[in-house]
Amino acid sequence: MMTRMTRFVALAAFAIAPVVAHAEVRLEGEGSTFINPLAQRWVTEYQKLHPDVLINYRGTGSGAGIKAVTNKTVDFAGTDAPLGKKEAAAMNDKAIHLPAAAGAVVLAYNLNGVSDLKLSGDVIADIFAGKITKWNDAKIAALNSGAALPDTAIAPCYRSDGSGTTFIFTHYLSAVSPSFESSIGAGKQVSFPVGQGAKGNDGVTAAVKQTNGAIGYIELNYALANKIDFAQVQNASGKFIKATPAAVTAAANSQAVQDKLKDSLAVSLWNQTGDDVYPICSFTYLLVYSDLSNVKTAEQAKALADFLAWALSQDGGQKINGELDYAALSVPVSAKEAEVLSKLTYNGQPLK
Amino acid sequence: MTQLTADIRTEPEAMPSLLTQKGGGFTGDRLLALAARGAAFLIILMLVSLVAVLSKAAWPAFQEYGVKFVTGSQWRPNPLPGPPQRDAAGHVMRDEDGEPIMTEIPPVFGALPVIYGTAVSSAIGLAFAIPLSLGAALFLIRIAPRWLAGPVSFLIEFLAAIPSLAYGIWGVFMLVPFLQRYLEPALAKICGAVPGLRWVVQNADGSPMAYYGRDMLCGGLVLGIMVLPIITAVSRDVLAAVPVAQIEGTLALGATWWQSAKEMLRYSKSGLFGAVMLGLARAAGETMAVTMVIGNSMKISPSPLAPSQTMASLLANQFVEAADTHRAALEAVALLLLIMSLAFNIVARYLVVGRGKK
Repeated sequence: MMTRMTRFVALAAFAIAPVVAHAEVRLEGEGSTFINPLAQRWVTEYQKLHPDVLINYRGTGSGAGIKAVTNKTVDFAGTDAPLGKKEAAAMNDKAIHLPAAAGAVVLAYNLNGVSDLKLSGDVIADIFAGKITKWNDAKIAALNSGAALPDTAIAPCYRSDGSGTTFIFTHYLSAVSPSFESSIGAGKQVSFPVGQGAKGNDGVTAAVKQTNGAIGYIELNYALANKIDFAQVQNASGKFIKATPAAVTAAANSQAVQDKLKDSLAVSLWNQTGDDVYPICSFTYLLVYSDLSNVKTAEQAKALADFLAWALSQDGGQKINGELDYAALSVPVSAKEAEVLSKLTYNGQPLK
Repeated sequence: MTQLTADIRTEPEAMPSLLTQKGGGFTGDRLLALAARGAAFLIILMLVSLVAVLSKAAWPAFQEYGVKFVTGSQWRPNPLPGPPQRDAAGHVMRDEDGEPIMTEIPPVFGALPVIYGTAVSSAIGLAFAIPLSLGAALFLIRIAPRWLAGPVSFLIEFLAAIPSLAYGIWGVFMLVPFLQRYLEPALAKICGAVPGLRWVVQNADGSPMAYYGRDMLCGGLVLGIMVLPIITAVSRDVLAAVPVAQIEGTLALGATWWQSAKEMLRYSKSGLFGAVMLGLARAAGETMAVTMVIGNSMKISPSPLAPSQTMASLLANQFVEAADTHRAALEAVALLLLIMSLAFNIVARYLVVGRGKK
């Protein structure tokens, strides 16, 4: 056993050795699991263009990513929720939020004979607060005239682990329902009074698929990959919209968001007005320091800024977003980010 | 797990004095003696440092909530918006932009829901496992012919070695659908018709409960199956230690097979209780399998058909993304769980091994 192990290690070392010798710059990032598939594709594509830059991104969860970049053990982090006050202070208020993609949270459901469910923010809030308990409730029926809603008990399903998905979902519900805001509130982890919890997007997806009468919130990508029914949601303009990457980009392009983007890149996207806007969506961010002195060398700092500039540009990484069912950033957001990236420094000196 | 039972079964015999003498002049002997002492010391140090580190990390939670940490039933990791801040004169305070400054109701952590969930799911598990385990142990000792007892014993011990994830997957794909499709709808019909039993199938507000499948009952049943092998293996050894004269005595007095078996159980009841305590220790600490089937809800519900949460599954769910007080609260739950498991194991050891020594 031991000898086999040693032999394996020796072989592995051999296999890696030439790559290490060739690579000149290494970059480390970790955090959000939501953006992980996209980040891996970006890295693969970027490596084809720049074989001398080795980038490693690990999907360990937004909280873990923020901790790592705060402790300066990684060069950049991914997070679904913008930094809270305390977290920003721990990074000396020098962190920059870079929207990397936009994602939607959809309401997946499992209901015999109902394939085109329509829901409003109020009704969703009442379901997850335990105020609506049956599928044929008058409030649901009012939104779905003609649908044969069964007399089945509703089984809400939520994330039992801390998650950016819960953050987006509960912030949306808090924005549309004052009673939800004051009784349950918003955060990466909240305590729902009814229903069952499951771990991860895949856990919730599995529980919803298995339970008759279930409804749960998951990321759009998971719903599409698992071919599970998800509801149309009424937006702030009164239209019922089914989530698509385009409907999310529409939210990012709305006037209110564009106005706020002038001040800060950490802008919330949920509950925007507009005819094509899907209401439950958010940016997911990459986090870096405005001065990259957390990175070891000036060369690495430059490589990091170059990689980010490529990933967030319309001709670079953003082209890949759509392929993987993430909403791409709009042109003005990309332009604003290019401007921010060009101002990054290393120990006070502009990057060369 | 088999390791554990073996450990309890075979007490180390007192060694002849020749063997306990440490090596004379040889350097190698001295080195080995030193290494052995160091190893033993290290293991104790590991336990001590585990308790110390956990206590230190958990301290802020105990400090902030005191007794309420174990009696409080609300577990809310997120702050809630409070009323606007007011100055001494009662006027709403405003920032430069004229917006009212809002207060925040801080998160609150009460561990009662998980203590309740751990207790009830373990109780359901034991209620399911004890009759089966004692039955199987009696069969192995009193009925099974020798050619059968060996393989059956092996199979039961093998069950204890299966990774808990496998039980969890079995629970999700076999037990959960069975509960959702057959047992819970049937219970809903029966209990819904009997006035005193409606609480089993209704939510707190009287509306019918969904057929979750992932609930306290499912968690308890999976735990029961998981602790079955350890209780069977230990009680088999306890029963095997009953002196033959004792059994022959009962038979000589004209006891039937059942009466003598009962006598046997009575004779070794403290050892059997110890076996159950060992099972309980495993049930209370079980994590992966339970997380998959218990429904992970932080609400205390009287019905076993409602989703629930245990101390271990809470840690598995929330630890990764937790910070500040939330993290301290989780460390405090971990400390409680560690102390509980330690207590169960000490009691079990005293009952199975300690008594026998006297």
